[in-house]
Amino acid sequence: MKNKQDIQDAVDKTMDSLDGLQRAMTRPFLFTRIKARLVREEKSFWSRALDFIGRPAVAMAAVVIAVIINATVFFELQSEPAQNAQDEEQVFASEYNLSTNTIYDASIDQ
Amino acid sequence: MDEQILIEKLKQGDEAAFRQVVETWQNMVYNTAIGILQNAEDAEDVAQEVFVQAFESIKTFKAESKFSTWLYRITISKSLDHLRRKKRKKRFAYVQSLFGADNQTIIEKPDFHHPGVILDNKERASVLFKAIDRLPENQKTAFTLHKLEGLSYQEISEVMKTTLSSVESLMHRAKNNLKKWLAEHYESG
Repeated sequence: MKNKQDIQDAVDKTMDSLDGLQRAMTRPFLFTRIKARLVREEKSFWSRALDFIGRPAVAMAAVVIAVIINATVFFELQSEPAQNAQDEEQVFASEYNLSTNTIYDASIDQ
Repeated sequence: MDEQILIEKLKQGDEAAFRQVVETWQNMVYNTAIGILQNAEDAEDVAQEVFVQAFESIKTFKAESKFSTWLYRITISKSLDHLRRKKRKKRFAYVQSLFGADNQTIIEKPDFHHPGVILDNKERASVLFKAIDRLPENQKTAFTLHKLEGLSYQEISEVMKTTLSSVESLMHRAKNNLKKWLAEHYESG
């Protein structure tokens, strides 16, 4: 088929070959399969959630957040004034009767 | 049931309404998908995905366009995504075969026969589908909607969210490309 006119005819016929085409039909019970798919996707919610948590990027982000929270708490405690620590010691000592007796306490006992 | 009432019921999660939506539009969705994907199993898979997404995102549907237009958009988007994924896999398999990582041979895409084509035109239509498969995405979409679904250029412009003149231009270019490739095919044949 080398004749130019033949080629042109073949092209034209091919271009028109979809004329009169009927819609392709789905297999029966498509709705049932769609329903099953919806149920399957609902069930797999937790497995998808686990997959998400297990992603390296998400896991790394969680580790970084934990480190930041730890560091923040640590440095916050470090920067608290020493006075507070002393106060706490005094409260603890008086609560458990650990305070040192003074000369005044001795004279009261006598 | 009136389309508007049907959509309202679907928004409320009514199963009977969903069944009716599927039964009313399943062949439209399937035929569009099979035209783009040229594979019956892939088209069935995409048709299911389309209705699942329609069910899940029906609340976002505003009645600014027809429901069928909205479904066409989802179908085209899903079909093109599916096609891109498949092409990516094929490219990856090709690269693997170059490096000898895998001994599997790359299977050529078989000829596609649309089930709705008139018997006399079967062979020619198969050649045409092969050429359609080479078209750029937007030309392929416009041509498929026009030839397989019988949509007017105006309707295609609504589905593709573009102007009428853009669709005319897409169709003109699509036809020119197809004629050129078909001429090459018959010259070499």
